[in-house]
Amino acid sequence: MPSLHRRTLHRRTLHRRTLLAGIGAALAAPALPARAAEIRIAHAMGETVLPAPAARVVSLGFTTHDTVLALGVQPLAVRYWYGEAPGAIWPWAQPLIEGPAPEVLTGEVSAERVAALAPDLIVGIGSGISRAEYDLLSQIAPVLMQPEGQPAYGLPWAGATRLIGHALGREDRAEALIGETHAAIAEMRARHPGWIGRSAAAAYHFGGDTGAFTARDNRTRLLTDLGFVLPPQIEALAAPEGFYAPLSPEDLSPLDADLLLWIAGQENLADIAALPMRRVLAAHREGREALAAGDLAAALSFASVLSIPYALERLEPELAAALDGDPATLPPAAEAAGLTA
Amino acid sequence: MRTAAILLVLVATAVASLSLGLRNAGPAALWHALAAPEPATALDITLREIRLPRLLAGLLAGAALGMAGTVMQALTRNPLADPGLLGIGAGAALAIVLGALATGRADGGAMAMMAFPGAAAGAAAVFALGGGFRGEMGPVRLTLAGAALNAFLLSLVTAIALLRGDALDIWRNWVSGSLAAAATRPLAAMAPIAAAGAVLALVIAPMLETLALGQALSRGLGARLLQTQGLALLAVTLMTGAAVAVAGPLAFLGLVTPLLARRVMGQSLRGQLVGAALLGATILVAADLAGRLVVPPAEIRAGVMVALIGAPVFLWIARRLAPGAGT
Repeated sequence: MPSLHRRTLHRRTLHRRTLLAGIGAALAAPALPARAAEIRIAHAMGETVLPAPAARVVSLGFTTHDTVLALGVQPLAVRYWYGEAPGAIWPWAQPLIEGPAPEVLTGEVSAERVAALAPDLIVGIGSGISRAEYDLLSQIAPVLMQPEGQPAYGLPWAGATRLIGHALGREDRAEALIGETHAAIAEMRARHPGWIGRSAAAAYHFGGDTGAFTARDNRTRLLTDLGFVLPPQIEALAAPEGFYAPLSPEDLSPLDADLLLWIAGQENLADIAALPMRRVLAAHREGREALAAGDLAAALSFASVLSIPYALERLEPELAAALDGDPATLPPAAEAAGLTA
Repeated sequence: MRTAAILLVLVATAVASLSLGLRNAGPAALWHALAAPEPATALDITLREIRLPRLLAGLLAGAALGMAGTVMQALTRNPLADPGLLGIGAGAALAIVLGALATGRADGGAMAMMAFPGAAAGAAAVFALGGGFRGEMGPVRLTLAGAALNAFLLSLVTAIALLRGDALDIWRNWVSGSLAAAATRPLAAMAPIAAAGAVLALVIAPMLETLALGQALSRGLGARLLQTQGLALLAVTLMTGAAVAVAGPLAFLGLVTPLLARRVMGQSLRGQLVGAALLGATILVAADLAGRLVVPPAEIRAGVMVALIGAPVFLWIARRLAPGAGT
């Protein structure tokens, strides 16, 4: 009896299972073409193969969570870069957060914490992870890196947006965002035809070292997209890390462009103001020295489709005051920080 | 005679450090910049506001660390003792990282203001842990307490730095000492502190020599053991704390300079202290100069250059020692 009963039960279960499988197959049918078009993205460390567009995303790049959010995906975890932004989400990205805040990964990447989130994609663009970390993380989920031949940091923002859009199956959205951002830059450029062709240097001062951002940096790219040109003295500098070139404190003359834009954290402003060789720069004497600090510096440094429009709006009055040809009108932020004294 | 020779080398190094750089300055230009500067010329600004503060910071920190190391080695009777053992560098680093996070500032002046109190607190903690307040301090106890507290404080700094990206940047820039930001460092405030430490060290030098005979014997000779130890630590703290505040931590300088001074100046501790001051200043100023000449326009930090220059000197001394010899 018990055995018979069990067999009946078994048959009934089998029957139900067949039925469910049939429904499942019917439901899955429309998804089949997507499955066939699996996503393959070749990059510097190998190839990211996704059976379907990613939905559970861990963003390890120091700035890539902006892009993931802009594309309409809530990242499971984001990487802390610097500053006091709550949850490592800066003001320009904050309105896009829905539901619980993403987990914040600080310091070294913990593969264990990443694994616990069960992601189906790990965005490693702009994360600086090593080959060994890539191999380890790849056992958890496909890892997306920068294209072959590109540096770990400073991938052009449009390219990064396109790559992440591809991995998330949202190419159209990515193109739309890139288009809107280009349009915002073009509008500002059109409002200031006088800027076109003038030279501009983006400078940093950090931990006692002063230097210039090179043509391989998104901060410089934004200035050139606005119509400025990079001074040849900066093009000629040696930049061992690619995106920035250190200068001697005894000679800051490569920074002496029509526009000198300091991009600096609030904590370094006193040191910039005290740099002795600034005083011999024509840009300093003629009020063409502007400052991007605080959230504006971060927005320029994030250089994402979210942060660029935010940055443009705040940068415009600073650049306008620097380039109006009148040494008496000083860029407000630079004046407030005592850079123009 | 030997003192005069070292002094001559120091003066030559100092003149070179003022003259050489991205723009070289001849004697006339040097004189012009120092005596009758024109405010807006690049060379005068370079000389007066960049190279001169660097030179002064190098003289101060180098002399202070050389003397502090000599006192440390005499006090602990350990040729490997280094002012860093007192928890001074670690105390300063922790104060700087915490201070920068709390105040949101990381400019040279603000950092340096936090360094000295942190250094003093680190040294006081080592003194207390080493039994100094109970009158039970001995060289081994002190060395062990210092090593333990140093490791503890530095792992705290590392933990904070790894969790906070901005703290890591602040710490990384601090941890390899540099004279590049000398103009923003509190040179005027730290010079009297270091000078007080130096005078104290010279005054107690004979007592320290008696101490070096061994505690039992020195007690027999009437040396006031605890008082001498306490004053020696105070001198080390004043000098090392001042050096850290103007130049950041400079590994190796406080270790290698006393060894060199002992070889050059002979057995008198006072002589060694004077020699260590001159040699320490020479090494640091030379390291700073070398660091800005090797890969222009970028600079290699003086802290890194000191170790690059100091390690071969250290090895040379080690190779010349007879096996089993004291230094």
